Amino acid sequence: MAQSNGDAAKYVYGVVRARRSSRRRQGGINDEPIKVVAQSGLGALTSDVPSGHLDAGRDELLTHAGVLERALKHGTVLPMRFGVVMRNEASVRDDLLNAHREELEAQLGQMDGKIEVNLKGIYDEEKILREVIGESTEVAALRDEIQRKPEDATYFERIRLGEFVTEALDRKRSEDERAIVDRLLAHAVAVEVGEPIHERMAVNASFLVERERQGAFDGALDELAAEQGGRIQFKYTGPLPPHSFVELSVEA
Amino acid sequence: MATAMQQSGSMQPYRGGNRYVARSSSSGLYDVLELILDKGLVIDVFVRVSLIGIEILTIDARIVIASVDTYLRFAEAVNRLDLMATETSGLPEMMEGISEGGASSKTKGVLHGAKEALFGEGDEEEGDGDSGSSKRRRRSSSSSTRRRRRTSSGSSGGGSSGSGSRSKSSS
Repeated sequence: MAQSNGDAAKYVYGVVRARRSSRRRQGGINDEPIKVVAQSGLGALTSDVPSGHLDAGRDELLTHAGVLERALKHGTVLPMRFGVVMRNEASVRDDLLNAHREELEAQLGQMDGKIEVNLKGIYDEEKILREVIGESTEVAALRDEIQRKPEDATYFERIRLGEFVTEALDRKRSEDERAIVDRLLAHAVAVEVGEPIHERMAVNASFLVERERQGAFDGALDELAAEQGGRIQFKYTGPLPPHSFVELSVEA
Repeated sequence: MATAMQQSGSMQPYRGGNRYVARSSSSGLYDVLELILDKGLVIDVFVRVSLIGIEILTIDARIVIASVDTYLRFAEAVNRLDLMATETSGLPEMMEGISEGGASSKTKGVLHGAKEALFGEGDEEEGDGDSGSSKRRRRSSSSSTRRRRRTSSGSSGGGSSGSGSRSKSSS
């Protein structure tokens, strides 16, 4: 069994309420045990990492997410962003838990009984393109023109056509995004709307949802998705710890 | 999908039953990558962590949007559409099954493509704030100004995204 020692650098996963320091069996990064470093009611989920440098890849990211997801099952957890390593245990107590005690306690209170749900919606390419062509005589005409000519004679027309489509999608995106967010926000506490990370992404938003209302939230999403009839395909990720709804006043 | 298998015991996964909603837990890395890398508490760090071999997707994928490549791809997709079906657009119920299957695989393909296009770019984060890390920081900070947070206090239709500051959420 790996020895956890106070002088070792500590990778920090998140902050929970904890009465005393303890070890948890499940593994953290590099299979080091998770240790809860507690200080007057607050606890940091940590594991030892080598000092100086840590190479992180897919496994480390998944471990970070996994540790937090398991912690969420036991209670409220404030997730750290990936990649926070502190000098040693004393630094975790002083520079994180004590230095930010008020904020951390307040946010633990705010996040009690709540989870984050991340929702991404992507337009079905064929459906959305048909819609765009059907709604714009310009696009339809441009398309007909391109189809009449040989391909190498239409480079700029094709770029223009693509530009029209992109603009039309942008308009649809902002309408759909607002409608979707409004509908679902009725069943959530807060929302953080992110930028689309894909050219056909209709919505990319994280909702803070009360656990008790998750059923209602899911039901509303179901209804909404059914109305869309496949025009937008949704990807639902959750329950997650509230990544998008926590912050410390002083950033690194 | 593997993610569907890995739902966690006492948690309440998505409980709806809708074929247009796919569920994943955080074991689907792609779906949480931007949250893990860009969201959550941060504090001065002692050890620099280098991301290696990660498909940096997050907001960086934004760069694939609105490029000439995108335009040409959309144009090609539009030109591929069957004209007959286009003319009856709005009621192609028969097409649904086909387009659905095609769409999901296409989606995956494009997402994957974006990943690959970004692979290897800005991955190295060591050293004294070299291009990689500063690039990510700049992007993420600009993205957070564009992000809007709203709370559901009362009005459901309220787009109170006015203030750029990140208002605390509370019910």
